[in-house]
Amino acid sequence: MGVTVLQPYPMPEGKSGAHIIDYLGKRLLSLGATHAGQFLVDCETFISTPQPHNGTPGRAVHVLHNSEYPASTFSIIDSGTGKQVSLVADSIFDLLMLKMTNTFTSKKQTKIESRGARFEYGDFVIKLGSVTMMEHFKGILIEIEYKSCMILAYCWEMIREMLQGFLNINVSKDFPTYFATQTIMTAMGQQQLHAKHNDLYEPTDTVKQYLEQFTNYRKHVSMHGSLSGTSGIQQPVHMSSSPVMGAAGGLVLIRS
Amino acid sequence: MSNSVNISVETTCENQIREIGYDGTELYQPPPTLSESLAKCAARIDFSKTSLDDLKKEEKTAAAAEEENKDGTQFQESLWPWDAVRNKLKDALTEICVLSDVISIAKDKRYLVLDPLLEEGDDTKPIVQVYSRKKAISQAAQVLLSGAERLRNAHSEQRSRNVSDFHIELLRLRQNWRLKKVSNAIIGDLSYRTAGSKFGMSGTFEVTKAEEASDDDSTSTSTTSSTATNNGMQMKASSALRVIVPAELQGVAYIKVITQKDQEDLCTAQVNLMGHGPNITAQVGVWQKTLEFAQNVLFCKELFAQLAREAIQLQAPIPHVVIGNQIRATLLPNIQLIISLCHSTTFDSNQPAPINDHDHVLEHSLHQLLREVHYKNSHHPFPHPASAPLGPTKKRMLAGPMAADRETLLDMTKSQTILEQIIAQAQHIFMRKRTQYVLDTLARDVKDPQIVSHWNAMNSPTMSCVKINIVTHGYDAIGRTSLVIHVKERSLKCICRDGRVMRLSYEPQELRDLILCQINSHQISCLVSLARCMAWTVLSNSNHLGIGKVEPLGNASSCLLASPNGDRMIAVQIRCDPQIDVKVYIARSPRQDFFPSPLVPEKLWENLGGNFKEVKFDKIEGKSFLNKMEFLMASLTSNTA
Repeated sequence: MGVTVLQPYPMPEGKSGAHIIDYLGKRLLSLGATHAGQFLVDCETFISTPQPHNGTPGRAVHVLHNSEYPASTFSIIDSGTGKQVSLVADSIFDLLMLKMTNTFTSKKQTKIESRGARFEYGDFVIKLGSVTMMEHFKGILIEIEYKSCMILAYCWEMIREMLQGFLNINVSKDFPTYFATQTIMTAMGQQQLHAKHNDLYEPTDTVKQYLEQFTNYRKHVSMHGSLSGTSGIQQPVHMSSSPVMGAAGGLVLIRS
Repeated sequence: MSNSVNISVETTCENQIREIGYDGTELYQPPPTLSESLAKCAARIDFSKTSLDDLKKEEKTAAAAEEENKDGTQFQESLWPWDAVRNKLKDALTEICVLSDVISIAKDKRYLVLDPLLEEGDDTKPIVQVYSRKKAISQAAQVLLSGAERLRNAHSEQRSRNVSDFHIELLRLRQNWRLKKVSNAIIGDLSYRTAGSKFGMSGTFEVTKAEEASDDDSTSTSTTSSTATNNGMQMKASSALRVIVPAELQGVAYIKVITQKDQEDLCTAQVNLMGHGPNITAQVGVWQKTLEFAQNVLFCKELFAQLAREAIQLQAPIPHVVIGNQIRATLLPNIQLIISLCHSTTFDSNQPAPINDHDHVLEHSLHQLLREVHYKNSHHPFPHPASAPLGPTKKRMLAGPMAADRETLLDMTKSQTILEQIIAQAQHIFMRKRTQYVLDTLARDVKDPQIVSHWNAMNSPTMSCVKINIVTHGYDAIGRTSLVIHVKERSLKCICRDGRVMRLSYEPQELRDLILCQINSHQISCLVSLARCMAWTVLSNSNHLGIGKVEPLGNASSCLLASPNGDRMIAVQIRCDPQIDVKVYIARSPRQDFFPSPLVPEKLWENLGGNFKEVKFDKIEGKSFLNKMEFLMASLTSNTA
């Protein structure tokens, strides 16, 4: 169990998801990684009923499973204000949710999952996942885990180098958005800057990252579905074609 | 202090209902008027009776009579009571008249005479009463005495009886074993089923009364009892009850564990339940020993059956062999572990005593392992949740909420069978013995640096640790080399002071070579420290010289020292050949044999240092290498400034 970073892979035009996965898989195998099974991360959302009257969206409960932790079920409560409460429970939690149908209804159409092959390469575990929502392909999500380290700040550079190496995309130098510095309220009521990348990594962080990405994919759908035209959040990742400082490192190849 | 309480008493003042009309109106009987009540009271007076009891009796009968009369003549109420009074008075008058007539006739003495009666004397004298009471009391005393006599007899009989009572014996039996009554017979259970065993063989025994006629050649239990008495234990010769154990559990059984190396017995172990509990057989009857033996047989059979099953199911590099009542497993090459079940149905007293090098550890381990299996069968680990399956361990229950990953979960599923565990323990015992042997022989053979080994007092069944210190006697403060060896089941792990970790296999020669190399480097490092103490300069030292012949073992180590003045140099080379071989050379500068030659004319070149000449190190005075080196350095140190 080590630091895990999610990297959405930008889909080039004209290629199908399966083709990309195949291509990336071949790259990994030629690097020397070994194929080690399949993985699955899925997310189901429950919305609280009845809807509150003042128009704010009801509380959402997201129930996620990760095949890397087969005995556990993760659950995140998302109140409309943005505060998230997470829970790690035994698998029997799913049965509990079935009994809560009075308070929470399941929105079956937003059931989203990331499924694919799992590769082990030394201390790294790389998962190539294709994200699907109700049998519609949404995108490709790469998960990379560095098993030897528990703090992102110590190994971000190495993970970034690894990603840039085999994915052939530009990964920004900053920490991923999940790990960015946040302002939190301390118990005293003061605001404080909290650097998440210096914290000990936990399995719930993986799941929260997945939830963030899934939410983005869902928003992507809703944006497209409502035909809102140009919108701010189209692709969650930047893909710049400018040559990058990696040339000095020698490991990174950017073919523009 | 009592306060008077006013109590008010009221009658209910409810009148009897005489008639209820059809429309619901009730006609009450009017309450009796004063004259009516007076008439009622007067009617109750019976002039013929004088005493109070008679009056009361009369009241009841009068009330009963009144009840009957009321039903008939209800409209003559006002007349009737006075009528009764009149009749009674008339009767009373009649009687008084009769009495007066009688008295007047008796006074006349012509027709009726009144004669006085003679008074009888008091017949019963006090003495007769005394006699009658005495007789009654003596009869009562007789009854009591006979009862006491009976109790005394029973009590003394109980104490002094030689033949034990069946019921007392049964009580003792029940205190130790589980019994139940099935129709007419008493059946007992000596199996471990309630302790968690799932063995199929039943351990029921039957309890019967012992026959008075001694027929001690029929059943084996009585044979057991008689031979048991012949064993010299002070036991009762016979018992009031007899236990009958099933045929397959009769006799004595034990499990014998032997470690064999090429057909030689190296060490043996016996697994036996007997002889470990408190000795209670002296107090209770013969059946206790019989039942204990039978239980032991059952335990040994279960243990052996479990081991045999596992031996067949396990896949080992060299397969385990199960023949009859023997299981052979290979611990290390050429070393075998033989577990056999020895069951003798005839209890002969000249049975060979348990073999002397009894491995208590293996014996206890096998016992404990099977008991652990029993315990796990009957006890579920806490917590016992109401809504989740019962059975997983606490670690597995916590695996969900703690987000355990796949490797952790996989590790939780791995478990070792009894046979694997006992093989691991036996291997470890063997490795430990071997390591001890190597270290002891080395310590005995190598006298120069002393090898001191400290074994940890607390070990696990599959790992022990030993700390080895290599010191030179007298020079402990100068330096010591220490290393820790972890003895595992099939390998050793050696951790040196400088952090090097070496993994050795089970061959003893590897450990021996390692220690010799450590001795090698110990000598040189101590010499370096000693030189510093003696103010000699260490010019160089090396642990891995690559010069000279290729050594069969390790590398040569060397050291080059210069005297405080600089006029002498000592070079030391130590090799492991495999004996420790020390070569010492000294050189002096200026060289004695310098003669100016046309090529090298100046005299100053004599200071370049001479050739090294070998020292006959064996002939130098000194107890140990360091001692000799100290003397050498001392002798070569000169005082010239």
